[in-house]
Amino acid sequence: MTITQSDLAAVRSAVGLVTDPEYPDLTIKQLGILEDVVIDASSIRVDLVPTILGCPALSTIEKDVKLAARKLGHEVVVRFCRAPVWTPDRISPDARQILANEYTIAITPRSGRTQCPVCGARSMEKRSDVGPTACRSVHWCPECRNPIEVVRAREIKVQ
Amino acid sequence: MEKFEDFLDAGGVVEPNDAMPESYRNAVFRFIELHANSEYMGGLTERDWIPKAPGLHRKLTALAKTQDEIGHAHLLYMIAADLQIKTREEMMIDLLEGRTHFHNVFHYRVHSWTDQIAVAYLVDAAALASQQAVFRNCSYGPYKRILRRVIAEEGFHMRNGEEMMLLMAHGTRTQHEMMQESINRWWLPAVQLFGPDSRPSDELLRWHIKSERNEVLRDRYVQKFVPQLLGGGFTVPDPGLRKDPVDGKWKISEIDWEPLKKTMRNGGPDSARRIADARTAWQNADWVRKALDSSSEVYA
Repeated sequence: MTITQSDLAAVRSAVGLVTDPEYPDLTIKQLGILEDVVIDASSIRVDLVPTILGCPALSTIEKDVKLAARKLGHEVVVRFCRAPVWTPDRISPDARQILANEYTIAITPRSGRTQCPVCGARSMEKRSDVGPTACRSVHWCPECRNPIEVVRAREIKVQ
Repeated sequence: MEKFEDFLDAGGVVEPNDAMPESYRNAVFRFIELHANSEYMGGLTERDWIPKAPGLHRKLTALAKTQDEIGHAHLLYMIAADLQIKTREEMMIDLLEGRTHFHNVFHYRVHSWTDQIAVAYLVDAAALASQQAVFRNCSYGPYKRILRRVIAEEGFHMRNGEEMMLLMAHGTRTQHEMMQESINRWWLPAVQLFGPDSRPSDELLRWHIKSERNEVLRDRYVQKFVPQLLGGGFTVPDPGLRKDPVDGKWKISEIDWEPLKKTMRNGGPDSARRIADARTAWQNADWVRKALDSSSEVYA
């Protein structure tokens, strides 16, 4: 069976709607986990970028991606990429809003101090490098007195 | 107090910087401390299964779940300590000395891998249902925010438990039998997790710390899990279980709450060993706490 461009587009949009196993109102596309959907030899391949190596949700995401494609009649190959590296920059602006408003999760900015999603203060104190998940650290906002989880940014050395 | 209760009834949310009656502060504190203790003790149980879980994938899951539970405990202890009734250290010491409590389900021995699956499938689901009911209109802001994430993460645990249970349901005869034995051990503790029927005067309900009565949650759980277990080819360990011919709902036998009361006072079958184990973990990590506390002096 030859894969047409419209097949590819259909799979791409279906796979983009697969949601995160822990956050059902966020898609893997919004979170920047979906890198690309391409034709590889005679099949469709979905490239995913894990937020963190050893993430326990990867096999669930893989299963959900395959299922979404199967519903359109396509069997896809899922590949977890080592490059590019996932960074919080890959999270879309609308997903950032949902993370902040719904889940009180902040994102480390490129520069400057992280803002508290509850009260907007920029005086949070880090309490732990990792929290309930390996991709977030735990901070304390002394202004509104809430514990805030912050999506960790990995430092990328520019060669 | 009347004004405060009107505020809560109108859906008001209390923040740490707001004034609140001392009795409310105490009730919120006790509730969060119990939840934090339970997450912590649950994390230690999960930890025991990291080396024993079959295969790398299951080990990874056990590792991640341990991190989840300990992480939840950390967040909950932070907001509990912020209520300024006890420090985090005081809460830990009280727990390790057996002076405070944790959920009934962590007072029993986990005998086998299928027991661990039963805990993930039956117990985590019960815990999730009760947390969802607290979240729905919880009046204490910081707790509600943490619950939002706890629920999201526990949902993932439950999916995992369901997946493992189905694997056993469709596995070999031995696997199926082992799973049934574990269901027999864990069904009642899971159903009891919701506690006895709520008293009409329950202040947790009146102050919107909880939003649903214990018996309502328990019944909803029974309606969902009895058909699931039967569908998996298992039996429910309750000789009095029946389907009501009038409303078509599953009815379970009358529960004797006396053993639960004893269990909740840390007198359950495995309470002493679990608390001793937690104490050892705390002592073994003493050097880590000391190193972290002195790091600012050493590296300043």
